[in-house]
Amino acid sequence: MNADAKTLAKQFQPKQTKVLKPDRQLVTIRFSPCGKYLAGGGFDSIIRRWDVAATEPVELPPLKGHGGWVQAIVFHPDKRRLFSVDSWGQLFAWPYADKNPQRLWSVDKAHDGWIRDVAISADGKWLATCGFDQMVRIWSTDNGKKLGELAGHGCDVFSVAFHPSGQSVVSGDLKGVVKQWDLKTNKVVKEFDARIMYKLSRLQDVGGVRRLAFDPLGATLGCAGTQPTVGANVQGTPTILLFDWQTGKVKHKMTIGGNGDGFVFDFHFHPAGFVMAVTSGNPGTGKFFFQKPGDAKPFFLATNLPNCHALAVHPDGKHLAVSATNPGSNGNGRQLKNNQYVGNFSPVHLFEMAGA
Amino acid sequence: MKLCKPWEHNLSRRQWLGSVAAGLGGLSFGNLLQPAVADQLKKKNKQVLFIWLDGGISQLESWDPKPGTQFGGPLRAIPTSVPGIHISEVLPKTARQMHHLALVRSLCTKDNSHSAGVARIQRGDPKNRGVTYPFFGSAVAKLLGPGDSGLPPYIWIKPGSGGFKHQDAGFLGPKYGCLAFGDGKPPENLVLPNSISEEDNQARLLLRKKLDQRYAARRPKRSVEATGFVFDMAEQLRKRLDLFDLNKLPEKDRERYGNHDFGRHMLLARRFLEAGVTFVKVNSYGWDTHGDNFNAHMNMVPKFDQAFAAMIEDLVARGMLDNVLVICMSEFGRTPRINGHVGRDHWPEAWSLVMAGCGAKRGVVVGKTNDKGTFVTTEEYDIGHMFHTWFTLLGIDPNKTEYDNDGQPLPIAHPDCHVVKELIA
Repeated sequence: MNADAKTLAKQFQPKQTKVLKPDRQLVTIRFSPCGKYLAGGGFDSIIRRWDVAATEPVELPPLKGHGGWVQAIVFHPDKRRLFSVDSWGQLFAWPYADKNPQRLWSVDKAHDGWIRDVAISADGKWLATCGFDQMVRIWSTDNGKKLGELAGHGCDVFSVAFHPSGQSVVSGDLKGVVKQWDLKTNKVVKEFDARIMYKLSRLQDVGGVRRLAFDPLGATLGCAGTQPTVGANVQGTPTILLFDWQTGKVKHKMTIGGNGDGFVFDFHFHPAGFVMAVTSGNPGTGKFFFQKPGDAKPFFLATNLPNCHALAVHPDGKHLAVSATNPGSNGNGRQLKNNQYVGNFSPVHLFEMAGA
Repeated sequence: MKLCKPWEHNLSRRQWLGSVAAGLGGLSFGNLLQPAVADQLKKKNKQVLFIWLDGGISQLESWDPKPGTQFGGPLRAIPTSVPGIHISEVLPKTARQMHHLALVRSLCTKDNSHSAGVARIQRGDPKNRGVTYPFFGSAVAKLLGPGDSGLPPYIWIKPGSGGFKHQDAGFLGPKYGCLAFGDGKPPENLVLPNSISEEDNQARLLLRKKLDQRYAARRPKRSVEATGFVFDMAEQLRKRLDLFDLNKLPEKDRERYGNHDFGRHMLLARRFLEAGVTFVKVNSYGWDTHGDNFNAHMNMVPKFDQAFAAMIEDLVARGMLDNVLVICMSEFGRTPRINGHVGRDHWPEAWSLVMAGCGAKRGVVVGKTNDKGTFVTTEEYDIGHMFHTWFTLLGIDPNKTEYDNDGQPLPIAHPDCHVVKELIA
């Protein structure tokens, strides 16, 4: 570990404080901009909310009405609104801080089928969504009116993000192509090559750009996924590619773990210049790590959280939440507990960064 | 699944012929207790298309969706051409063919491992009688014979290696094994080398026949006939190399089946069924989705859907579905529980198959699982029930027909199981 990394390791050392235990599996978790709420989208079409400002987190009434999985959620920067998308093609807006929130607006057929991601522009005016129908769409956060439609991927679009400038949106697809779209013309400006995150294995297209994020200045675009080797029981090495936004060239390639470690499911840039990420691969494997771009190894690595699917960063930069999976989540055939067939769930691990 | 031996991957025409001839006895019905039955069957021209999705397609992302439930996953269900029957949204084309199909949603089998499950299912899970039972393809090759096509009675179109798979035949003997067309290509060396002209080849065949006649004078007739039969079969296959050339088909046909291995192999299967092959098996690999199950199914099932629906459509259009029994299945289904790798594991407790044709009832669902899809709530059907049903549809009475294993009478289907009557029209 170099001197920089040692300094970072002292300053940013997550310590687990609490564990929330929803009884179902979660796809995503995010903190509200005010920091008071943590919300999670689940496999059970429910958005769970916790008040995490209290000494002990308090679970609030859930937001109901989605279908399938609540795949992604995003908070408005200042208007106390939460936007959510599901695997049945629906986009909803919620006044998340209300005691029993009723939907502000909804788009029932925002996409044909699974909506993979939702992002919000820095000024809070626009939403971008993408999905299995190969489309990227732009929406007004005020009323859900469709403002733009970006076609051209030709395959499932997994991830979307706004550039901090608000001039562009980027979208990443199953085959590892990331497109930069000009929001004035709705045309592709350039493409970023993340095709190492794709492989055709027999009939299966494996991999895809599962998450996109910009550093705070918008100089670096991060693309996360896996370098797949085989489909079915998908195997691959968790990978993040960091592109220079201007040139479109890869500046750094970060990999963690081995072939069985699967995907980087979620990641964020920390203002201090490092990347925070979580992975999930073969049942039981999961990594939560901090790494400085250019370094060979992370300065923080936790391997005790099975199958981490989401990482939420509190606006204070000092608190984090990781959504993982219960141990022993897999197994063939009839496995009963007390004569019942039970499902898995996603413990949410809350962390505080000592020294931050 | 048992791994292939390297030498099985390079079986030449000569080796194939040798392997077939090795277990001689001839492609006759000699091992049936009732030879008269065989003659009747031969006239019926029944055929089978057996589609094997190796590794285990998820019933919840195909034939028995449970949207909006604990284990239902992210996908929706869609209506089909039969009011009241819904299947997964990733099967839109098959949904339009539902009025030709029968779904069985109440399979409950015994093995949750591939190694035991594949063989157990394809052999019909017979009672242990100290012998290895034949795969369904070998059984049908035995019971229905090769028909009049002159082509091998049991072929297998699959990705990867080809060759003669004698192991499928079990106690029936190697001649009832299957001829696998690896990557949909003909057996190696089937094509005459450029150095041998057609005239030379005919001269060779004539010489062989003369030698056979001399050989026959000193050998049992059955052996000689069998030797001749397999040579003739190879010759016939050589004459039908056009069957392998899909480029001769209209572009529209190839597009309908899909520009992927499975689509090409299904189109090839249609060609061989049209040519009169008794049993055509098509394999697709990669369905063992312990990880990333939902993306895998969203990606693979539509490819299956395209080719499968096109096949049903074509069999109907050609009037073939009355005589061709279509079966699509795996060795088991997948767990309702979704593991941490966002996958589903092996689940033989409650799963599904789809079938059609040859007198099977059309547009029906047989059996039911509970609301969560975890267990069967109606009568559970094992693979033995399916063997009884399939044999019945092929005109073979499973209760009256037996194999004759060198004097040992053996039932063709598990005696503890029975025909699923709801599947018979």
